[in-house]
Amino acid sequence: MTKRGAPSWWTLDNAAKIFPSTSSSYDSKVFRFVCELHEPIDPQLLQAALDKTVQRFPIYRAVIKKGWFWYYLEDSALPIQVRPESLPPCFPIYPSTRRSLLFRVLYYRNRISLEVYHALTDGSGALNFLCTLVYEYLLLRCPDKLSQSVPALPYDASRFQRHTDSFQTYYEKPTGTFIKRSPAAYQIRGERLPRKHLAILEGRMLLEKALACAKARGVTLTELMVAVLLWAIHAGMRVRDRKKPVVVTVPVNLRNYFPSESARNFFATTNVSYDFSKGEDSLEAVLKAVRQSFRENLTEERMRAHMNALCALEHNVPLRLVPLPVKDIILWVANRLAKRGVTTSFSNVGKVSMPEEMEKLIHLFSVFTSAGMPQACACSFGGQYVVSFASPYRTRETERVFFRELARMGLDVVLTTNLTPGRE
Amino acid sequence: MLHCEKCGVSLAGSLDLCPLCQGVLTGAPEEDVYPVLPEENHFHWLTARLAGFFSVSVLAVCAAVNYCFPAGGLWFLFVAAGLASAWLLIGVALWKRRNPMKAIVWLLAVMSILALVWDWRTGFKSWSVNFVLPCLIPCMQIAVVVAARLLRLRPADYLHYLCVCILAGFLPLILLLGGRLWMPYPSVVCVGVSAVALSALVLFRGTALKEELIRRIHL
Repeated sequence: MTKRGAPSWWTLDNAAKIFPSTSSSYDSKVFRFVCELHEPIDPQLLQAALDKTVQRFPIYRAVIKKGWFWYYLEDSALPIQVRPESLPPCFPIYPSTRRSLLFRVLYYRNRISLEVYHALTDGSGALNFLCTLVYEYLLLRCPDKLSQSVPALPYDASRFQRHTDSFQTYYEKPTGTFIKRSPAAYQIRGERLPRKHLAILEGRMLLEKALACAKARGVTLTELMVAVLLWAIHAGMRVRDRKKPVVVTVPVNLRNYFPSESARNFFATTNVSYDFSKGEDSLEAVLKAVRQSFRENLTEERMRAHMNALCALEHNVPLRLVPLPVKDIILWVANRLAKRGVTTSFSNVGKVSMPEEMEKLIHLFSVFTSAGMPQACACSFGGQYVVSFASPYRTRETERVFFRELARMGLDVVLTTNLTPGRE
Repeated sequence: MLHCEKCGVSLAGSLDLCPLCQGVLTGAPEEDVYPVLPEENHFHWLTARLAGFFSVSVLAVCAAVNYCFPAGGLWFLFVAAGLASAWLLIGVALWKRRNPMKAIVWLLAVMSILALVWDWRTGFKSWSVNFVLPCLIPCMQIAVVVAARLLRLRPADYLHYLCVCILAGFLPLILLLGGRLWMPYPSVVCVGVSAVALSALVLFRGTALKEELIRRIHL
């Protein structure tokens, strides 16, 4: 904030623009990162660590405001406090009657949870925030164990780099249209859990074993997981639904293709589709198709085209001139149509890295997201690989087949869930 | 740690049954990883619900009485419209209760429209444009300023709304210049007050207003 009191503000980045118009209590667009330590969390030290972390990420002080044409982020003076976990996972953040920050930091026993509204940042950006928070917390909590030398934080971007909207940096006007209409995909349905709760199932396994398992089949770990997910969804399909393809959308971190240290959204998605009515329904056949799809789609050229097509919509002058309430409706409808082409999503956040001295103080990292349908996320830390499902439904057939298949492959899966007998 | 033989997975935390297959678990339970959440309060907004129930009951009684004694015309429609108007205003106020500035602008708009509709449906004696609008708008301008002072809002949190209320104050000018009003004095006062307020806003808060408008109207 400047002396005169004019607050800093930021326009929403390209990916964030759709979230305020489409989030609801059923589909909160909130995701959670978890860091589990070996010892119970000290709330006061966590608060001190959070205060320090927010200083490095001023955009986390922002609230969403409505303009005439777009939503935007504006710096606020709201208090930033850690809270004991007392809300269901991924509880809605925006829209809310009360103006609130776009993230919350929760603690319970050994776990620190960071819940973030997707308009603020994506998984990679939030992970940098959480890693910084855990870094600061451990410096305060275990100074004796880290006394030799203060380890350097891997993420050391400047404030400008953090605040950059990298979509704007890399946008080039596309020559042709790229967005194709995709056929209606199979939709997982079921009875919802009461009070809009989410059923969380986190399965952790040894990374080394999981990698070996993938290598033995000649695929990457993400390809293996996506294939097993497609296969697991197929197992729960009714025969009359089997003519529809199963489509898993995989968010791709554009920072891997275009240099960026942005702490905001910078991702695109690629769809992996398998039509069980046309192809073989063996896991091997699915694996082959997934591998081919990944190899074809995950190229810099494809990603650039995809990103430019998305940004082109935002740069379209007549569309920009549409007042916000009308845009809300347009984006809501567009989101509904886009959802029809997708069965579920699998977000791989990748490897979480912390300074070496700190890794032994941390048990695991985990991530999951709420999106109105069953969704899977994965990340790895140390020697552990964690795949988490978040589902609004009572039925968990996909999860059952998925984890049983992993167990059958010889992986020792340890499940963690928020389900208790009363909540199932 | 717990174990499900059927699924071949282990389970952290304390559970009675396997979350995947609802089968029996073996092994010893551990500490919960997720908290057991408190039960939600089922009776949210009890007063509002009671008031709503009361309104519907009153309306039902009025409709029944009106049906039995039809001599005075369909007067229960007035009761219905009155209740609907009251609920509309209460609804808007409750909906925007966390942001008083927004609530004021919304109430201004809804009250103006309600006044116009009531006037129009009751023989259009144009009391709405002669009295209600020109009196309402300056009141709302004052309300914005007073609320902003009391709540110690930052300029960014109220200037935009104040600007909207002041600009609304120039609407009676159209009718005034068109010579369509039989009682022009309230409108003259309204436009005059708005002109003074606008000049004060531009002269004393001009920079902040400009910055706020840039944020609000960015394309």
